[in-house]
Amino acid sequence: MTDAPQGSGSGGERAGGGGDDQRDLELIAQWKAGDQRAASALVERHAAALARFAVASGERNEVDELVQDTFVRAFNSLDGFRGDSSFRTWLFTIERRLLLDRRRAEKRRRDRLEIQEDDAATEYDALDSVLADETQRRMREAVKQLSPTQREVFTLRVAEGLSYKEIADAVGTTEGAARVHYHNAMRAVKEFLDE
Amino acid sequence: MNDCQNAEMRDQLPDLLHERLGATERSVVIAHLDGCVDCRDELALLRVAHGTLIKATPRVDLNFIVEALPKTAPRARPLSVSRRPMWTDWRIAAAAVVLVAGASSYSVLGRHSGVVTPDSLVAQAVAPTAGNPAAPTQRAESPATPTRSQQAETVLADGAPVATEMSGLGASRLGDLNEKQLKALLTEIDQLQATPITEPDPVTIRVDTKGSTTSPEGL
Repeated sequence: MTDAPQGSGSGGERAGGGGDDQRDLELIAQWKAGDQRAASALVERHAAALARFAVASGERNEVDELVQDTFVRAFNSLDGFRGDSSFRTWLFTIERRLLLDRRRAEKRRRDRLEIQEDDAATEYDALDSVLADETQRRMREAVKQLSPTQREVFTLRVAEGLSYKEIADAVGTTEGAARVHYHNAMRAVKEFLDE
Repeated sequence: MNDCQNAEMRDQLPDLLHERLGATERSVVIAHLDGCVDCRDELALLRVAHGTLIKATPRVDLNFIVEALPKTAPRARPLSVSRRPMWTDWRIAAAAVVLVAGASSYSVLGRHSGVVTPDSLVAQAVAPTAGNPAAPTQRAESPATPTRSQQAETVLADGAPVATEMSGLGASRLGDLNEKQLKALLTEIDQLQATPITEPDPVTIRVDTKGSTTSPEGL
């Protein structure tokens, strides 16, 4: 087992829609039949996308733990997965719920300890320093200035290639709202890059 | 950077990037791109954004994730677990029905004690000695086992005054009976139909205030 592929095209694990969804269903069936390698294959196919979504959603620490928690929760409730949406969309839904739970817990902790954390220096920003490409650095800044919802929708649409319907399922909104968020995000990115 | 006015085409650019378009749709979008600078610029921007987001992804240790996964699929709950309460519920319901039926029978029979309760039998056994001695013979000649209503009719048709019957009933206790009376009582009990009924035939007793005779009527 290796680390999730980084910086390789679409993540090296997914090219299209229906065929990959079918492959996911086959792997799930294999795992239910006792094939542990199927679980590894599913993790390999989706871990990088979940990590991207976590970062896009503002998670900057313990991304590994978040992705792990997402898979553990998903595998423990696979009986509840009916295949109405794609497996990846379902994973995004679970991850997003976990993220919200974490944020609530973190907010409670901060409120309790009254600690004002400066989250400017993070691994996310440290990564910026090694980005040689000025265009990519600018793009990162452009995405950063989006609202949280715009950033989630933009990431799922651009980085993962999800349809508006899938995005709506993942972030708990309507298809129309997802479309509006995407186009607003695209307009904001263009304006930022044009400055 | 300008936006293309063809929103439908713009909507499909990310799908083109991820190769999620069918052959027909793809050719339409490609044809549009040939003549639209704005969409070409937007597609180029999408490629940069995609590459940037991919690069920005922190490394994920897949072994770390896989080790935490459950080793086998969680088993579905056995059906017997969910069926057990149903079976218990059925038994409780059946028991409740039996109890209600039994209580109803007891209540109804108790209300018509002159018909089937042991005290009435005592009264029947005592009545001939207190009133008409010929009555037991008359009953013994009856070829068939009398029904409850017939019994009541027979007892009251013996000619013994109701007052006497009732006083005998009230005064008689098993300990007060002699051996002959007890035998007669046991004989009556043996002749009883043992199957309890929940709805006995109603009996009305008409009392003639001028004379001492009574006659029962089944409604």
